[in-house]
Amino acid sequence: MAKKKNKNVIRPWCWYCEREFEDEKGMFLMQHQKAKHFKCGMCPRRLNTAGGLAVHIQQVHKLEPENLPRIENAIPGRDGYEIEIFGMEGIPAPDVADYKRRKEIELGLAAGSISAPQAKRPKIDNKPLSEHDLRAMLDQHKKLMGGSTDASSSGPATAVYGAAAQTYVQPVPPPGFPPPGFPLGPGAPPMPPFPGPPGMPMPPFAPGGLPPGVMPPGMPPPGVMGVPPPGMPPPGMMPPPGMMPPPGALPPGVLPPGGMPPMPPGMLPPGTFPPPGMPMMPPPPGPMPPRPAPSFVAATTSQGGATGPEISSTPAPAAILRPTLPHPSKFQTNPEAKKGMVLIGNEDEHGVGGDPNFCIEEKRAFHPKYFVPRPLPPPENAESRGKKRARAEDFL
Amino acid sequence: MADPTYSTLPSPPFDTISRIQYSPTDPNKLLASSWDSTVRFYHAGEPNERPSEQLVKFEHRAAVLTCCFSDASHGFSGGLDATIRHLEMGTEKITTVGSHTDAVSGMVFSDESHALVSGSWDCSLRLWDPRSATPQQANATTPERIYAIDMTNHNIVVAMASRLFSIYDIRNMSTPAQQRESSLKYMTRSLACMADGQGYATASVEGRIAVEYFDPSPATQAKKYAFKCHRHTVDDVDHVYPVNALAFHPVYNTFASAGSDATVSIWDHKVKKRLRQYPKFGNPVGTLAFNCDGTRLAVGVGYNWDLGEKGMHEKPGTEIGIRKLGDEVKPKNWTG
Repeated sequence: MAKKKNKNVIRPWCWYCEREFEDEKGMFLMQHQKAKHFKCGMCPRRLNTAGGLAVHIQQVHKLEPENLPRIENAIPGRDGYEIEIFGMEGIPAPDVADYKRRKEIELGLAAGSISAPQAKRPKIDNKPLSEHDLRAMLDQHKKLMGGSTDASSSGPATAVYGAAAQTYVQPVPPPGFPPPGFPLGPGAPPMPPFPGPPGMPMPPFAPGGLPPGVMPPGMPPPGVMGVPPPGMPPPGMMPPPGMMPPPGALPPGVLPPGGMPPMPPGMLPPGTFPPPGMPMMPPPPGPMPPRPAPSFVAATTSQGGATGPEISSTPAPAAILRPTLPHPSKFQTNPEAKKGMVLIGNEDEHGVGGDPNFCIEEKRAFHPKYFVPRPLPPPENAESRGKKRARAEDFL
Repeated sequence: MADPTYSTLPSPPFDTISRIQYSPTDPNKLLASSWDSTVRFYHAGEPNERPSEQLVKFEHRAAVLTCCFSDASHGFSGGLDATIRHLEMGTEKITTVGSHTDAVSGMVFSDESHALVSGSWDCSLRLWDPRSATPQQANATTPERIYAIDMTNHNIVVAMASRLFSIYDIRNMSTPAQQRESSLKYMTRSLACMADGQGYATASVEGRIAVEYFDPSPATQAKKYAFKCHRHTVDDVDHVYPVNALAFHPVYNTFASAGSDATVSIWDHKVKKRLRQYPKFGNPVGTLAFNCDGTRLAVGVGYNWDLGEKGMHEKPGTEIGIRKLGDEVKPKNWTG
C-alpha cells in the first residue's frame, strides 16, 4: 500500500489527547473519540460528541450537570464539556495554532510552513480576460514595478505602493561611481556587477549575518565610506575600500602592477604602510600569500577562529564564532576514561563525549538559531513584547 | 497517562526547558524558562480541582537560561542576551534590571537580603536590588565562567568551569569565604544546596554526584563522599550520562537527581541510599524542582542539546511533568 506521507501536512488529530491519525478523512479519529472520550462510564453506550455524552449521562443516569465525570483520557484542561468537538471540527483556533506551531518545531519546519490537509488549489478560470481586466492588471503590474508612469494620476495609494517597491531597487551608488552596467569612457572595460552598497559586508558574507549595530573590527563606521579617503585612486577606477570584488573580477585595466594576483583594494602591497586616514586594514605582516576573498572577509571579523570554505554557506556568526576560553591557562583535560566507559553527550571537536572545557549550553549559544551577540548595547527599558491580554481572574 | 501520580502541564515551551522554579509560597504555581525565549508562569493543579494552565507567558529577546521567584507574584529571568529582567506575574510587565556582559547562567533570590544573586559566563557574580536606583549592588569577579549557583541561608555556592567552586557569604561579597576544587573529576553539571543549610550536592557530566559540607573542620569534611549514578550498561559498555539537575526536598532534605538518561532518582544522602527511581521518561530530564511544601516534583523533559544540532529532530517534544509525591521522598527512619 503506497502511503503518501507529506511532512508539511497536519494529519487529523484528536483535541482531547493530541493523538494523530493516519487516514485523511478522519474516520479513525471519530471512532477513536467515540471509544476513548465519549464513552459513558456507566453503561456501554458510546456517544458521538461531548454534548451528547453529557445529555446521555444526565438523562439516562440521572446525574446532575455539576456531577458529570470529566471526559476520559483527555489532556488536563481539555476534559470539559463546554467545547463541542466532532472529529476535527470545533477545535478552538488558538489550540489549532498552538498545535501547528508545536508540530512545526517538532518537524524542524519554518513557522507557517505547515498547511492544513487537502489545501485546495487556487481556482484558475480560463475564460478570456476582458479589456478592462487586462488594463487593470497592467496598471497593477506597473505599480509593482515601481513605474512612475501614472503614479501621480492614480492617487496617494499608488504613490505609497510605488514607493515601497522602490526601496527594493538597487541602492543609489555613491557620487562618482558609475551605475551598474553603465559603460565607462572609451577604452575602459565595463565594470563588474555592482556588488552592493559600500560599507556593508559583502557576499559571500551572508546578508543579515551580522547583527545590526555590530561592526566587525576593521570596518570603518558607515558614512565614512561614501567619500574616498585621500590617497585613493580616482573614483571609477577601483571600487571604494571595503568592497571586495570577486577574485578575478577586477577589470584588466586596473590590475596591480607586476602581474600580481588581484588584490583587494585597501590592502597595500607588502612593505608599504597605509596613508593616514586609510580605514581598512593593518599592514600585512610580511609578504601576503594570495588568499581568496571569502576568507579574507571572514578573517576581519573572526576572533582568529577557524575560517574555511563552509563559511559561505552558513550564517556568518555561528560559522566563525565559537566559545573561547576566558582563561586559556585553565584549559581542562578529562582523566583517561576507564575501559568500557563512554561519556554520552557534549562531544568536543574530536567527537569525544564530555568536553571538559565548554558546557553544552555554551556551544548551543553559538548555533545560528540562538546566537545573540554579547555584550549587547544597553537595552532600552521599553520591552512590551511580552504584554498580552491581562487575565485578572487568575490573580484574584 | 496510566500513572495517576504523574501529569503534564498544557502549553509547554517549544524548546528545551532550562529551569523550573516553584513559587516560594504557593505549592501550585511555577515558573519555567526555556530556550524558546520565553518564561512561562503556570498553575499546576489537580484534575478534579482547578485544572493546570499557563497563566502568563513572558517573551524575551533570546533564549532564557534561568529564572527564579522573588515572591509569589514576582520573579527574575536571565539568559543568552546577558540581561537580568524583573517579571511581574500580575501585570505581565517586564522591566530590565541590568546586565552582565555574557549569558546569565544562574540566579537565586535571597529573602533575607532582598537581593538577587546572578552568575554569568562573563566570570562575575553580581548582586541586584531591583528597588534601588542603581540596582547593581555588588560585582564579584570569579576565576571562571559560572555554570550554576544556589544558596542556603547566607551561603552562596558558585559552580564554575574548570571544576572550580566558590562559596560566598551574601553579607560579604567582596571575597569568597571558601574556594574549592570539585571532588569530581569531570565538568560540573549541576548543583543544589541542602535544605538544612549544612552543605550541598554537585554532579558532573560523568554520572556522579558528590555530597559536600560547608563546615571546614576535618571531622565534617570527612563526611563528604561521591557516588555513581545515571549510567546504563549496554553491550558491556558503560554509558555514562550527565546529571543535569539536583534539587533538595524542602522538608525531608532528601534530594532528587535528573539525568540525560531520561531518569529521575530520589536519594537519601544521610544513609547513602537510593529511595526511588521513577519510570524512564521519553527524553533527557534537564531540570527539576520541588514545590514549597514538598508534595510535588516538577520535571522539565526534552532534548537538551547533548548531541548538538544533529539530535534536535530525533525525539522532539518537551514536557513539564508534575509528580505527586508519596512516602518515597521520606527517609526510612523519619521521625519528623
